[in-house]
Amino acid sequence: MKDDTISPQADSMQRRGVLRAGLLMGGAALAPGFAAAADAPAAAPAGLTVAPNSQAGVSPRLTVHAIDTFHGATGAGLKLDLSRFDGERWQLLKTVRANAGGRPAEPLLIGDAYRSGRYEVLLHLDEYFAQMGAKLPQPSFLSKVPLRFVIQDAAQRVHLAALFSPWGYSYYRGS
Amino acid sequence: MAGISTHVLDNFNGRPGAGMRIDFSAREKDGSWKLVKTMTTNADGRTDQPVLAPEAAAVGEYELSFHLGDFYERQGARLADPLFVDKVVPLRFAIFDAKQHYHVPMLCTPWSCSTYRGS
Repeated sequence: MKDDTISPQADSMQRRGVLRAGLLMGGAALAPGFAAAADAPAAAPAGLTVAPNSQAGVSPRLTVHAIDTFHGATGAGLKLDLSRFDGERWQLLKTVRANAGGRPAEPLLIGDAYRSGRYEVLLHLDEYFAQMGAKLPQPSFLSKVPLRFVIQDAAQRVHLAALFSPWGYSYYRGS
Repeated sequence: MAGISTHVLDNFNGRPGAGMRIDFSAREKDGSWKLVKTMTTNADGRTDQPVLAPEAAAVGEYELSFHLGDFYERQGARLADPLFVDKVVPLRFAIFDAKQHYHVPMLCTPWSCSTYRGS
């Protein structure tokens, strides 16, 4: 195969690189067993140790969950930019990272900050897959992926679910 | 054949996404997006002409913006809720080898979007 092929396999050096990147994000963000995962097959870089999380009945808020369907893992460490359309342009509100479960530690918006409007979550897939050691052609097919959606009613919570690989993505109103 | 093509599938209705406006843009060296052309999908959910013809293909970043809002608003009475996806959904990707073809479908409903490098 040529240089432009990709592989989910990463050598141990690359896995250590991922681990270092994770430690830079704060050890508390890592799943239990993450260090052990550095010696496990690269197909599960972050380890799936976190059970699904029901948010039924919680107060109005915007939450997000990112799943890496390339590695069969959560999008741990993925950088996300949240922007809101102010009528003329997209204004960056915050930049966060997904924790070991693929979710930012806090809701993206809650309380007074949770308002109706047009929003964008930008997924930094280029940085994420580089940290994973994925061998991708450059420029990579997907790099910074905008997910645009609407909060119509600030009395109802919104959960944005995103599934991504280097070659495709989906997003939908989740639960 | 090299170049770019797309295909809109309306998974809400289980049909090709006919009559949807798509704006095609290319990224300039300064990082800005330049509109190249605006197209409308045909009855099969495809564009009559290639999005980007083989002879025009070049390494770089491109954007297809799908006008889902207008598309679903025309079906108004059949929607129980307003759209969750934004009225215009941008899909950004790169050509890394101008000799390859890039088929980039858009699968959509009022509540979801999906895309991938297709064939």
